[in-house]
Amino acid sequence: MTDTKRPREPFAPWDRRSLPGLFDVEETAERIGHYKWVEMKLFEALGGWVATVPELDVKLRLGTHCYHHAWHADLFDKRLPELREMKTERLTVPANDQLVAFFEAMTEPEDATMTIEKLVGVYRVLIPHKIAAYTYHRNATSEITDMPTVRILDFILQDEFNDWREGEMLIQSMIETEAEVERAMNHQLKLEKLMLAAGGIAGPGSIGDPYVEMPEEN
Amino acid sequence: MRKIFPAEELARDARFIRQTNEQRLSDPRGTRVAGGNASEQLAKLTPGLANGPDRARALMHGIFVGEIQALEGAGRTCWDFEVGEDVPFELKLDMARQCWDEARHCEISVSLADHMGTELGEFAENGLLYEAACNPDPVLRLTGVNRALEGLAIDVFNTMKEFGNLAGDPVLEFCEDWMLADEVTHVKMGSDWLRRLTENDKERLEKALEFQKVVDRLFSFNGFRGEDDDSPIQLTRRFRELAGFSDDEIDEIADMSREARAEAPS
Repeated sequence: MTDTKRPREPFAPWDRRSLPGLFDVEETAERIGHYKWVEMKLFEALGGWVATVPELDVKLRLGTHCYHHAWHADLFDKRLPELREMKTERLTVPANDQLVAFFEAMTEPEDATMTIEKLVGVYRVLIPHKIAAYTYHRNATSEITDMPTVRILDFILQDEFNDWREGEMLIQSMIETEAEVERAMNHQLKLEKLMLAAGGIAGPGSIGDPYVEMPEEN
Repeated sequence: MRKIFPAEELARDARFIRQTNEQRLSDPRGTRVAGGNASEQLAKLTPGLANGPDRARALMHGIFVGEIQALEGAGRTCWDFEVGEDVPFELKLDMARQCWDEARHCEISVSLADHMGTELGEFAENGLLYEAACNPDPVLRLTGVNRALEGLAIDVFNTMKEFGNLAGDPVLEFCEDWMLADEVTHVKMGSDWLRRLTENDKERLEKALEFQKVVDRLFSFNGFRGEDDDSPIQLTRRFRELAGFSDDEIDEIADMSREARAEAPS
């Protein structure tokens, strides 16, 4: 028979979740509003590009990925009222003007000959930055107080990794000459500089600060 | 990237040949596939018809290019309109979901076309579906695409599902049934958004329904789709009801097709 009076700890020995997390309720809501804005801009762009790319496999993947990011936007939108933000559109804003400039540059290519640029912007620049910011948030927030956000980010990160892999493979399959390597790299360089100016998808601090503050020497 | 992307610039590889509706209807190769005379062309699509298998192959190719354009149209609705100013956030989520569904339909229909012995590009494409998806008013766009064209897709998929059943082709029947389920969802989206966005705007509602009639009429040529037992494509009452069509609306489409059939050259 099981001894029902024998005490057990509330956390099992393998459960190392801890308190507190790095973000309070307000900061979490602000970050999630920025994430939702990014997901919206991304799914809108992917949807718009479908008509402009002649490569059939790319066209169909963009249509599929468009929905993944719309679903992410919806998940973030539903989380905001749980973080005391009832008017979700109030926080659905870009982190800063530099991020707006990044999206304007990323969505600029339209011509049917520019599939490489379209894919590079999303899969070599934006999605890696999203993965970084979401992973930082997922690992830095409390898995006890903010587990609903962690659960959302876990689902989303799974999509992001899968989509990044598919997008990267499409890029590799489209690059056949040295000139195309340069096209891809030049476009990546241009967009990375804009993302650097923005400080990441949630602005400066998107992935935390790894440096140690040192007292100034006299 | 521009807002409103013109139909004539839709990006395609070298296998796709675009024809206008006028070119398509006067193309003698189309007549050969459809049958020698008007009565053969307007016979119900069954595997027993002498030209039945070829007509089914042509129709499947038409479904495939239609799905590409439906994907492109839903994608453009995600891009062309601003949340808050033009459309609600939830409408765009529906359109993104439709993008995914249409991408899967492309994968299904191109696989079925191959299964039926058809090469990509064997038949011409016309851009009518996407043209309806270029309407600058999102309510008219959704009504034209989701209620008129996706409504037609319900009829076409149900006919192809029956064709698969009669032909003893379980793969065709299985796949068409899955696509049919998605189409009912898309038509219902159109019906729901039409009701929500025109709740206090009777004039816009009337304009949207008029646009739907224009699109429905374009695809009722010669009574191609109707409720008579021998109509090539069967109007599917039950699924249209599930998708938010009233009895009166279904009667109107049936009457339109009957009139077009009566006017068709014999």
